[in-house]
Amino acid sequence: MISGSFGQHHISSSAILRATGSRVIERNLLLLAAPFTLAGMLVLYLGVPQARGHHALLVGLATVTAFFLVHLYWKKIGYKGDSFLLPITAVLSSTGLVFLYRLNPAYGMRQFAWILIGLGVLLLTSRLLVDFRFLSDYKYIYALAGLIALILPIFFGQEQGGAKSWLDFGLFQFQSSEFVKILLVLFLASYLVENKAVLTAGTRSIGRLSIPGPQEWIPLVAMWGVSLLLLVFQRDLGTALIYFGTFLAMVYVATARVSYVIFGLGLFMAGAAASYHLFGHVRSRVAIWLNPWPYADTAGYQLIQSYFAIGSGGVLGTSLGQGYPGFIPLVHSDFIFSAICEEMGLLGGAAIIVLFMIYVYRGIKISLNTKDEFAALAASGFTALLGLQAFIIISGVTGLLPLTGVTLPYISYGGSSLVANFILLGLLLNISHEAAADL
Amino acid sequence: MKNNILKLGILMLGLFSILVVYLSYLQVIRGPAIAANTYNRRFQEYEAQVLRGTIYDAKGAVLARTEFTDGRGRRVYPRGRETAHLIGYISELYGRAGLESTYDRYLLGREGADRIRNYVNKILDRQQSGGDMVLTLDANLQELAVDLLGGRRGAVVLIDPRSGAVLVMASSPSFDPNRLDNIWSSLVADEAAPLINRATQGAYPPGSTFKVVTAAGALAEKPDLAAKTFSCPGFIEVDGYKLMDTDVHGEVDIKKALAVSCNTTFAQLGVDLGPDGFEKAVKAFGLTQDPGLGVPARPGTIAPTDKLHPTELASSAIGQGEVLVSPLQMALVAAAVANKGVIMRPYLVDTVKDSMGEVILQTSGRKWLTATSPQIAGIIKEGMLEAVRYGTATAAAVPGMQVAGKTGSAQNPHGASHAWFIGFAPASQPSLAVAVILENAGSGGAVAAPIAGRLIAAAAAKGY
Repeated sequence: MISGSFGQHHISSSAILRATGSRVIERNLLLLAAPFTLAGMLVLYLGVPQARGHHALLVGLATVTAFFLVHLYWKKIGYKGDSFLLPITAVLSSTGLVFLYRLNPAYGMRQFAWILIGLGVLLLTSRLLVDFRFLSDYKYIYALAGLIALILPIFFGQEQGGAKSWLDFGLFQFQSSEFVKILLVLFLASYLVENKAVLTAGTRSIGRLSIPGPQEWIPLVAMWGVSLLLLVFQRDLGTALIYFGTFLAMVYVATARVSYVIFGLGLFMAGAAASYHLFGHVRSRVAIWLNPWPYADTAGYQLIQSYFAIGSGGVLGTSLGQGYPGFIPLVHSDFIFSAICEEMGLLGGAAIIVLFMIYVYRGIKISLNTKDEFAALAASGFTALLGLQAFIIISGVTGLLPLTGVTLPYISYGGSSLVANFILLGLLLNISHEAAADL
Repeated sequence: MKNNILKLGILMLGLFSILVVYLSYLQVIRGPAIAANTYNRRFQEYEAQVLRGTIYDAKGAVLARTEFTDGRGRRVYPRGRETAHLIGYISELYGRAGLESTYDRYLLGREGADRIRNYVNKILDRQQSGGDMVLTLDANLQELAVDLLGGRRGAVVLIDPRSGAVLVMASSPSFDPNRLDNIWSSLVADEAAPLINRATQGAYPPGSTFKVVTAAGALAEKPDLAAKTFSCPGFIEVDGYKLMDTDVHGEVDIKKALAVSCNTTFAQLGVDLGPDGFEKAVKAFGLTQDPGLGVPARPGTIAPTDKLHPTELASSAIGQGEVLVSPLQMALVAAAVANKGVIMRPYLVDTVKDSMGEVILQTSGRKWLTATSPQIAGIIKEGMLEAVRYGTATAAAVPGMQVAGKTGSAQNPHGASHAWFIGFAPASQPSLAVAVILENAGSGGAVAAPIAGRLIAAAAAKGY
């Protein structure tokens, strides 16, 4: 069934392929993204007093140029990765840059540096890891490395915004969970490919339900344990949710067994219910989500301020620099979407969501075009990871779901998050490069 | 596997679609209500940036202006407690009140051309400003009225009956709006209720000043009463209930009954009017309506018609019973008689400008109600002139000017009677209508009438 569908995908993607070969689409889209970035910086330069004298225009110009240089380099080496993802990322990270500049030029400058570093890492990823397949050989190393990276902050970590998930390296702080999520996808992809047959069929049966043996499902339960570990010791609800969601998505993609998903969700619900009863901070998150107003001066302050920002925005927004998103604590990281909603209105907020939708659409398309299961699983895992993270934080700050603090990919302030997501982008592009190059 | 990937993709795009729908609902439908919440600090921030418009009195004296210190605006009220009830206040802690609150959008430059102008100003980092307001109030007369009240509980209202322009509206005790945040807790706790604008929110029995309304109602029902005489034995019995008069007034016509404030006559007229006739007379003078000055006002109240049995009618007709009205409303009663039966809609704000000085709102005299006919107004005016000439209101007399007036000494459960006076001047061409009340201060003729006289004299000297 799987091999049967391959031919159709080859035919349907050949048209895009001709274009991706010369990367014309990427160039044209970047040409569209450039005025957006520059206009944003120009508005800041003209209309926002605190952003003046901080070389807003130069930073904007440099960012645009950096993205173009990546494009030109790829064109030169004949890189065949997806042509849409880099321009989408350019718009998302430029939006983040403009808003960080507007909120606090110092954050803007640092974010600018991290975008440059991120693009450098993206180039390295597209160069060094272009034959990504070898990555599947080291799955237990990932598991070990990931576990260590997650456990370290429990002992040596610093608490930021309620989550104890940061490692302090003096010069900069490092949020290991942002990188572990990539290892997670790689590990799961390798592991699921190896054990797919057993997991799908099951080795023993209880009544009519066939279930796999302990050697197959123990690692999966371990994954659930890791999520809970995050939840309990690092108080990082958001990351736990993303890990677990990605895990379920990949298990479903590999096995097509809804029973796993239901079983997983059941485990998650049990974990969530237990932590609701055990931990005060989980209870208060839920209470605030249900009705933040009684906590307007205390624990609900941040969410209420986010509501005010979004409510003040209306359809068109107050326009850049004219609102008061600074009233929201942590607006530069988890709550940056509320700032966008205030100053760019519903149109701006919806545009960001639509960009993530296109990102996810391209990611799904990439994994549909892969020729083996490891690549397909990895691509869909990365896509699910990024999409889930964007969905969870946007839902959190708008009150659709209880708030769990994670960064909005490419937009929120933070080097770890930005660099990790650029690596993710590079791996996704490498997968699409392979599929396109093999034709 | 590809099929599963496709399903995953559809699920994720579905989740994002839900998010877009929810965001639209949040921002467009619920947004305005959320943003209007008092916890939202954006409004105060806006306040601090905008050069809020200045409020002037009729002669150009500043009543409220914004001073900038360290880049933040602070509101200053040069006339302090004298105008506090009208101008109101803006406080980050205790909200907004008075004309400051009612005309917020204009003063902050959020109306008309100022909306666009201030948007551009903000982008260009220039000072944003709001529009100025000019009131009908005369700050000097207001000061005099406050002095005449002398810290006693009471209120004074002076209006131009020809236009409805409010020249004086004083309420005592008052508060200093410049120090509101510091004194708020004591203001709220004060049993004298200094935050209440007694001129518009007061609920007083009007006493004998109300006989003007009863007279107008009775004359409208039976015009021949004008030629009739009434006999006053010093009391009246209604349904076996004996109502004592202040004196034995003997044979009086309706003018003299007004002049000497004969309770017997007006109690009988009230009983004769009946519940519907009495209510009609009250409503004709707009006593149960809020005239819409832009400051909080309490519409007057009377007993419901099904409870207006003869004894209640007898006492309501002389401004006792369940009749409760504000000084503003009684000033409008005087204005109705002065203006040949027509009440002009009272107003406090003459003009509202935008930040460039262009006039956005301009109030002019507009007819509000026809309280009574010119003939009836003429008869009552005669009675009120006689009251000042030889009756209960002689203390309101002003040398060289014909003043018409009616006193009241309203009994109440709180102690001595409320001293009332309503009147107008000059009688030939009335340009001033006044109402004075002093709570629990004794007789209207002795306490309230002299205040009215001095205020009228001062206003006339200023050319009003």
